[in-house]
Amino acid sequence: MVKKFILLIFISLGLGILTKHIGLNSQQALAISIFSVSILGTLFFWDFRLSFAFLGTSVLLISRTIDLENIIKFSSLEVILFLIGMMVLIGLLKEAGLFAWLVSLILRIRNLTAKKFLIAISVISALLACAVDEVTSIIFMVAAILEICDYFEVDPTPFLIISVLATNIGSSGTVLGNPIGILIATKSGLSFEDFITKAFPLMFLCLMTTICIVGIWYRKTLRELDNKIKELGANEILIRLISIPLEKQLKICLGIFGTTLFFISLHHRLELFWGLEPNTILLVVPLISAGLVMIWKWRRARDYIEKDVEWWTLLFFLLLFAQAGTLKYTGATDVLAKNLARLASNSLPVLISIVLWVSTIGSSILDNVVLVAAFIPVIQSFQSLNLNLQPLWWALLFGGCLGGNITMVGSTANIVALGILEKEKNIHVTFFRWFWIGLTVGLITTAVAWLALLFLPFYR
Amino acid sequence: MKVKEIMVKDVTSISPETGADEALDLLQKMQISGLPVIDENGKLVGMFTEKNILSYILPSYIEKVGRFIYEENPKSTKKKFMELNKIKVRQLMRKDVVTTTEDTTVCEAARVMLTQKARRIPVVDKSGKVVGIVARCDILKVFAKEAGKSIS
Repeated sequence: MVKKFILLIFISLGLGILTKHIGLNSQQALAISIFSVSILGTLFFWDFRLSFAFLGTSVLLISRTIDLENIIKFSSLEVILFLIGMMVLIGLLKEAGLFAWLVSLILRIRNLTAKKFLIAISVISALLACAVDEVTSIIFMVAAILEICDYFEVDPTPFLIISVLATNIGSSGTVLGNPIGILIATKSGLSFEDFITKAFPLMFLCLMTTICIVGIWYRKTLRELDNKIKELGANEILIRLISIPLEKQLKICLGIFGTTLFFISLHHRLELFWGLEPNTILLVVPLISAGLVMIWKWRRARDYIEKDVEWWTLLFFLLLFAQAGTLKYTGATDVLAKNLARLASNSLPVLISIVLWVSTIGSSILDNVVLVAAFIPVIQSFQSLNLNLQPLWWALLFGGCLGGNITMVGSTANIVALGILEKEKNIHVTFFRWFWIGLTVGLITTAVAWLALLFLPFYR
Repeated sequence: MKVKEIMVKDVTSISPETGADEALDLLQKMQISGLPVIDENGKLVGMFTEKNILSYILPSYIEKVGRFIYEENPKSTKKKFMELNKIKVRQLMRKDVVTTTEDTTVCEAARVMLTQKARRIPVVDKSGKVVGIVARCDILKVFAKEAGKSIS
């Protein structure tokens, strides 16, 4: 612990001194130093990350590196409010039994075969991660996988890994899949429609590639499952055990969620129609839905806010965004962006490659929100260099999501799924059992995204 | 009135190395829902309750999934119950235990029970050794007596 702390201080101070040495002023160097404490804090002291964020932000204010007005401006309250609204809605859906119903749907797949199961869990994992956030969707995917594997008495680990890989890939498909989606959308001006027309097809291509890779990688496991299915006669008995009727309340909740998604998907058109600022409708729709839900279920309203909203994470995000904003405010990211562009000889393909691969490798170790928050002001600074930013935003999105597959700590979904597996089945997945398949899928899918971003004019 | 005046001094406890099935038998025999877990030095190391066993048997994701999907109990609950004989109390017990001291007032102990959602709290001395235990019903009996009523 002490060693890690010394290392953290050493690296942060070193970065500050180094950046000052290469021409940044004192305030810029301090902003970089403090932001690196927050980043390294998430790496070395996960449980203390909010404390580091509180202290770091206070130092930035006291040292006049940034003022109160700007720290509030940069804290991206709109992103936090969007996430709060969505969390309340997810809380309602959970209470109404939507997730239990979805688990039962997966268990009821008729004429089950191993191949069908592989494709079903991959596609459903990816699509659910698109519709709700990846951490929520992975929990009930794991539940369904454990139930099926329990029934057929096969090792659930390969299927669970497949589901997590597909979830991380799927989370890049829409604005809703991952906090970095909404963060990038609000900062880049890309709309939900842009995500659906550009990110979703590329996500789907990465997903299909992954299904092929895992189909080959886990061919023995799939053969074993097929044998068990033949032995036990599909999942007919399991289907008979399940009882989750689509109740009236669940139908209403599905209606509310569907309507919310519908308006979110049309946000750009509605904003143009009413002459509103970009992203106003995108951020307001979850708030309206959550507000109406809290009127409908007014006795539970406090519970939705206190228990279903993850304040710990959101407060960390808020302060992290403020600290990343300080990098921009002090001009530190302008200097970094200029140096990066010079390094890349102002070539967009080179910059796309740098952003994509650095964010892929970075998010395999770091929390992707931390990484993306750091990258956003740098990409914004490229604007002054007259570069087309759109492919860079997509590179950041795909790097941030696909990199999470490489290591078992690469994304929250990985940690949650493996935690459940260890608790429920006492199966401890070793670092390398995950790493080899994670690295293969991570590198190949990133390469797919790389080729698409470089060679398809559609992404320019 | 102080806790030492109402606490039960003869504390039945279990060791962290006791089997979970054995501990469950003891709870059933004594018809109580929880017991303090005390190590070989007499120090309190946890609290073992029926709730710990229930949360072990039910899938950990059930709270997030929202509800059970089966009409009958799934195979896993039976399997997990059978495994209780392989599990030690220390693996299931709650380690973060709410305690009180002998000189705490009864009202304060009642407040702690209410706010921390504890049915019974162990009474410890300065060195962390358990010297007694006080339950909700002990406190209610005191309040009843003060009001001139008696409860059995």
